[in-house]
Amino acid sequence: MKEGWLQRLQNEVAQAWAVAVKDVKVYYLRPGMIMFGFLMPFFMFFSFSVRREMAAAQGVARLLALTVFFTAAAAGPFIIPLERRLGTYDRLLAAPMSLLTLLLGKAAVGAFFAIGVSAVALIVGVVAFGAPIAHPGLLTAGLLVGSFSFSALGLIFGSIPTRNPGDVQMPSTLLRWGLLFISGVFIPLEEMAPAARAVAYLSPLTYAQDLMNHAVLGAGLLTPWLDLLVLLGSGLLFLLPAVLMHRRSRRLGY
Amino acid sequence: MDNAIEVSGLTKYYGDLLAVDHISFEVRRGEIFGFLGPNGAGKTTTQRMLTTLLEPTEGRIIIHGHDLARDPYPVKRQMGLVPEESNVYTELTAWENLMFTAILYRVPRSERAARARELLETFGLWEKRDVKVENFSKGMRRRLSIAMAIIHKPTLLFLDEPTPGLDAQSARVIRDLIRRLNAEGTTIFLTTHQIEEANLLCDRVAIIDHGRIAAIDTPERLKAAFRRVQSVEVALEPDGQAHGPALEALPGVTTTVKMGDKWRLYTEDPSALLPRVVRYAEEHGLRVVSLNTLGPSLEDVFLEITGQQVGVVRHETEAGGGKQRGRGMRRRQ
Ligand SMILES: Nc1ncnc2c1ncn2[C@@H]1O[C@H](COP(=O)(O)OP(=O)(O)OP(=O)(O)O)[C@@H](O)[C@H]1O
Ligand SMILES: [Mg+2]
Repeated sequence: MKEGWLQRLQNEVAQAWAVAVKDVKVYYLRPGMIMFGFLMPFFMFFSFSVRREMAAAQGVARLLALTVFFTAAAAGPFIIPLERRLGTYDRLLAAPMSLLTLLLGKAAVGAFFAIGVSAVALIVGVVAFGAPIAHPGLLTAGLLVGSFSFSALGLIFGSIPTRNPGDVQMPSTLLRWGLLFISGVFIPLEEMAPAARAVAYLSPLTYAQDLMNHAVLGAGLLTPWLDLLVLLGSGLLFLLPAVLMHRRSRRLGY
Repeated sequence: MDNAIEVSGLTKYYGDLLAVDHISFEVRRGEIFGFLGPNGAGKTTTQRMLTTLLEPTEGRIIIHGHDLARDPYPVKRQMGLVPEESNVYTELTAWENLMFTAILYRVPRSERAARARELLETFGLWEKRDVKVENFSKGMRRRLSIAMAIIHKPTLLFLDEPTPGLDAQSARVIRDLIRRLNAEGTTIFLTTHQIEEANLLCDRVAIIDHGRIAAIDTPERLKAAFRRVQSVEVALEPDGQAHGPALEALPGVTTTVKMGDKWRLYTEDPSALLPRVVRYAEEHGLRVVSLNTLGPSLEDVFLEITGQQVGVVRHETEAGGGKQRGRGMRRRQ
């Protein structure tokens, strides 16, 4: 019963897809997901944006960057430890699929959530506040690539060997806030001092914000291609520590 | 090649804790192989290594001729796994759980629905197929988790303690099912701490304790060892060390162990010993505070088989007991 590589690839894609769809069904209504995934970006947005005068389009660009970032990165650290605790993760690990397939499936979950939440944010922004969208195609690409990238970031924390989502929430929240505050979300890049800007380039969120600026406002500081490339590259890079930590879990017995 | 599983020198350390200690065994194709041991013996650890969930510290596992460390993929497709805890998705219905597993295990699309229906009917869950699993009883969850483990028709099925916590009826349904799967050609690796269950189901049994295998044999041949470590436990008033030699002198007693205020008398035939103990008490004007017969405990079986002295090893892991055994042990020469 030898199968060709094409057949195998087809199977792995189907498996990753099944994992993602299952997770969306199982976890979208969980309080942890609602709290850290769906409400957090809006809290962040309102607590840092109320005092500033801002055009609707600017607000939409910022909100989209935040939803993509927070929602996507919230899924992994919540779902994987929970599945480990319930023992359902063993089912996935024992199944005939590669670890990468499993991780891509899990990355897709965060991405689905993020795309859903940012779609809501987008519709509200466009319909209620009349925000114009400069490049819808770029916006779509940005949302897709950005949510994949940040979902993969979440996987790093989800891969920490533990059965308790609480253990992971703390470090993952700290890192997300750190990446948020050094990024160009709340202070535009062009207004930053050179040193601060250099630091901002370390945060992938900076590129997501710049990309959203291009897509919604039609102008940004970097080129949109570079933004997309950096996001895609960092997403792939984030998979590496996730794989290594899964190996570690397999040694430790989680 | 006749072996489904070949294990050599398999070892697992959790940090400094040696959970599985250089064990070697074979499981033949088509047999029900029992993996019998008390709590903490290393059963789950071994099973998790055999199913790729845990990386061994040392040793080799060959399943259907494939080295698991190098070539797990073809093996994974042929394995089914029923873990200790029923790991079903409680937010999904029974049907959704089965469909999800069918995709994971690559059951062809055209066969999925038919397989799921057949299994749900066999397991008496068909009426409940659209009910979320969170509303299922423990027994129903266990049945569903077994159904999920066999939806891809594995040739090798691992079950980790499938029946504890279930009522007699549910346990029997599951045992019948294991027999049926085996009759249809599935090799079964059954982990359990119930001697009776191993007796009922297995072709061969490995007895494991403290990470080591003491014996691998047919239940019939192990039964002699089981029989030798049955016991009668008695508490007498007034109590005293003097009872020791007298009780041990009763016909049929092989060993006496003082355990707190009780005496445990090991014997092959507890029912014959009971009246003798009562008579002893009557003749000496003693009150019998309590009197019990005990089946063989796995720890004792393990000690008996390894030729160690029954009753001298710590027993805090003993199922249902938790009592510390005394060391006032004597063995009749
Ligand atoms: N992930 C882990 N990390 C550290 N120690 C562990 C881990 N899993 C098991 N152990 C230890 O390894 C030993 C063997 O455990 P294992 O779960 O394999 O026993 P078992 O035979 O399945 O017992 P039970 O009948 O209670 O299920 C025990 O001492 C246990 O405490
Ligand atoms: Mg166990």
